[in-house]
Amino acid sequence: MIIFITFIFYYKVFSQAPPNYPAQVGDIAFDAKLDDPAFKVCDDRNVQQYYSFGKGFQYNGDKPQLKREVLKQWKKLSDVNAMITIRFIVNCEGKSGRFRIQSMDDSYQLIVLSEKVNSQLIQLTRSLSGWIIGTNRERSFDYYQYLTFRVNNGNLIEITP
Amino acid sequence: MRIILPIFAIMLTGSVSAQPNCNIYKMDNDLACYEACNKATEAETYQGTMESQRAFDEAIRLCPKLDYAYIEKSVPYLKRGDFVTWKKIIDQGVEINPRRNLGYRAWCRYQFIRDYQGAIKDFELLEKLNGSNLGYSQNGDYHLTIVKGLCYRGIGDNIRARAIIKAQLSVTNYSPMPFDYLHLGIIEFDLKNFDAAIENFQKSIAHSDYLADPYYYLALICKRQNSPTESKANMLKAKAYYSKGYVRKDSYTTPMDKVFLSDIEAHLVSSK
Repeated sequence: MIIFITFIFYYKVFSQAPPNYPAQVGDIAFDAKLDDPAFKVCDDRNVQQYYSFGKGFQYNGDKPQLKREVLKQWKKLSDVNAMITIRFIVNCEGKSGRFRIQSMDDSYQLIVLSEKVNSQLIQLTRSLSGWIIGTNRERSFDYYQYLTFRVNNGNLIEITP
Repeated sequence: MRIILPIFAIMLTGSVSAQPNCNIYKMDNDLACYEACNKATEAETYQGTMESQRAFDEAIRLCPKLDYAYIEKSVPYLKRGDFVTWKKIIDQGVEINPRRNLGYRAWCRYQFIRDYQGAIKDFELLEKLNGSNLGYSQNGDYHLTIVKGLCYRGIGDNIRARAIIKAQLSVTNYSPMPFDYLHLGIIEFDLKNFDAAIENFQKSIAHSDYLADPYYYLALICKRQNSPTESKANMLKAKAYYSKGYVRKDSYTTPMDKVFLSDIEAHLVSSK
């Protein structure tokens, strides 16, 4: 009996599988149900982060141009109040793909918005074509980028980062 | 094997908070926390990887009071836009040691998320615990009281923002940081106090003449005051400074009140 209890104790404490982390926090694996198979990542094992280049946000015409392009297409999102983050990859040709969306409220709690809203924002993000190719020492890299839309009563208040 | 771009690897994967002195735990004969502390400080050097996150988990298991491990574990989620996970993890570090971590959480809320209200709440809590000296921002650009003022600007209360920033600038022995006068000048500009705005932009230039921004605003004021020649000279200087790289830079986010080249060029075109 003692042996059995000891076994249970050790099983409980030490056999728990470690959290299932991806190779890098925030990695986005290809999902045939979500992703465009035509979008190619040049080196899937070496996708950088947008900040790895030390140049900040890289978009042709910078943030003002990105804002103009977003606002031009913005359709009021009913009564949505949320911070909606879309994370994606800009590949070594400057094209974007593998979009993933996460929404939260002011208390940093996950919220689920309607498919219609999600799809509208992903379409909008997909349409942005001014991403600058990530380069270092004349080599081009794929990189992860995200955009967060702060939405108040359906209106766009701010885009970060 | 991933390649981390070498130029920025150290700068951008580096620690966000001061590394703890692990020897303190050794001196207290707390060997579990000593081991945890060493694990966590090492894990921070390969931030964001699976191995790093697991090492932080192990450090936390060994020493649940090690707030540093929670704080560092949260960082890649913040930088990569997963603010839900970031907040859950950093909150645990703040709960263990609010005096050490509230100012940092507030700064992250301001810098990454523009969560001005949340940052103000954190600053107010910290003031109750530590008094009025809130410390400095993680990137070293600001005293956090100035950031508190900027949070009020962010929610549209320029009057309160001005009062907080001016009070900080008048604190005995306070050394102004690079953008203090610039922000104060822009606030005065928005409040249409152009003489006070000019005074602050000139102070900004006197403090550090490596920024296009004050010249851009001086040009706007000159234009309003019907001095087109002076306006154009300032705007051209702003453009020249911009091309020299004298601009506000942040690898992660767009700084508040940043002037862009397109702003400068638009005014040069319109004043032709």
